[in-house]
Amino acid sequence: MVMTAANDTLNVKREVPRMFSFSRPFWEATRDKKLFIQFCRTTRQYQFYPRPVSIFTGRRDLEWREVSGRGEIFTFTTAWRGPAPFRGHEPYLIATVTLDVGVNVIGNIVNCGLDEISVGMKVRPFWAPLPDGLHLLMFEPEGSN
Amino acid sequence: MALRDSVIVSYAEAKIVEKSQRDVWELAAEILDSLLTKSGFDKAEIDGVLVNASLTGATNCFWAQSTVDYLGLELDFCQSVDIGGCSASGAVARAAAALDAGLCTTVLLLYADTPVAETTMRPRGFRNEWTLPQGVIGPPADFGLLSKRYEHQFGLDYEALGKLAVTQRQHAMLNELACEKLRAPISIDDYLNSRMIADPIRLLDCVMPCDGASGLLMTTRKRAKSKGLDKFVVPIGYGERTNYRAGENVVDITETGHVAAGKRAFGQAGVKPTDIGSFHPYDDFIIAVMLQLEMLGFAKRGQGCAFISETNFSCSGDLPLNTSGGQISAGQAGLAGGGTNLVEGVRQLFGEAGSRQVKNTRYALVTGIGHLPYGRNWGTSVTLILTPDA
Repeated sequence: MVMTAANDTLNVKREVPRMFSFSRPFWEATRDKKLFIQFCRTTRQYQFYPRPVSIFTGRRDLEWREVSGRGEIFTFTTAWRGPAPFRGHEPYLIATVTLDVGVNVIGNIVNCGLDEISVGMKVRPFWAPLPDGLHLLMFEPEGSN
Repeated sequence: MALRDSVIVSYAEAKIVEKSQRDVWELAAEILDSLLTKSGFDKAEIDGVLVNASLTGATNCFWAQSTVDYLGLELDFCQSVDIGGCSASGAVARAAAALDAGLCTTVLLLYADTPVAETTMRPRGFRNEWTLPQGVIGPPADFGLLSKRYEHQFGLDYEALGKLAVTQRQHAMLNELACEKLRAPISIDDYLNSRMIADPIRLLDCVMPCDGASGLLMTTRKRAKSKGLDKFVVPIGYGERTNYRAGENVVDITETGHVAAGKRAFGQAGVKPTDIGSFHPYDDFIIAVMLQLEMLGFAKRGQGCAFISETNFSCSGDLPLNTSGGQISAGQAGLAGGGTNLVEGVRQLFGEAGSRQVKNTRYALVTGIGHLPYGRNWGTSVTLILTPDA
């Protein structure tokens, strides 16, 4: 059986993402390949993507906490047609990953065959370089080399 | 109650085209002209206007005012409705509220957009930061993620989804206003074999971006009667929900705000799904139609495909569905696209749908879907129940 490999899209030319005043700490932490997520002190819950308030209380008592980025696939899709910079790099995998701390994050899945991925599969962070020393959070299967 | 005291006296729709050679305001003018002719109202009687926020006018923050200026309308109430694909049906409820509050007496609801000819949108939101760098092309990938999760939880019968695509295409062939390119028959095999965009979303799951316009004229019941009108359509139930479960992190993305919006609309109208004579669900993707069958109570959770397999959705069937082809087979007129589903529901209740006229014109159900948030299903869900005046 021939396993179709998913492209890793690492050769796609990516710009520094447009960021907001309240999301900048996330991006700064990626310089050291660290994952910082907002944490609501009142409800003791994490949230993603970064917001200017707690989505649970509407209040601003948020702090940034470093998390492992480990989690499992919540859902996924194989992209056979990408936006302009991704043309010619298809097929590649996109997944929603439920991190161990209870938030869903959308990211590319690398080092994984198209037929290997499944809902519930354990993944860990994979940091892809961006310009200016930043990194993009992707994921790869736990145990991949 | 506000809703029932407002009536739709007329509807209009322009032909949906692949790319309009005429400006968006010329399409809007065609709708105004047509509504005046059909309703017998004079331009000076229109004292309120609701327009949809459009892709063509996205960078004009005076969109409603610019539009009515070009149309030469003097008004007491003027507003843009910006809940995406929910704007058309959402405008009906907003018009009713404005009429009830005495802000105006006669409202033009104008849905026009020409995104293929001209888009001026500069998105400001999560996409540039969180999903475009990951190669998420937008709605097809969002629905790919949604579909895979549904498949994981309940299983997905692609032949059933294909049946919906085939039915809507047959309806577009009966609709002279549908985009000509789409007025050709397809089979379930054509659907299954259409190329993958974002697995399992295929090309024939998706709407085709088009240009078009439609509109309604609404007034108070009292005014309609005083003008001697004896035929109109009345909104009797409306529900709207934006950001269903917004304050939760990890939600079941196979459950949408239509659960809440539908419950409210059916409760207000005092009817149940089995009373509905024709169903006009917002259809940006085929699976969205299936999900709404579940959310609105036609089918049990997880049984949407089974319901599709055993139901005849043709114009003479058990539950006539998107009888003009819906947006998937008539073409999506940008953010005016919700008008396609809505106007057909109104047309059916007026009994003017010609070769696609349904028999049961007691109640029509129209829905909207607007905005696709990060990692969820969709942003706004609306449900509107209409009945001929009785």
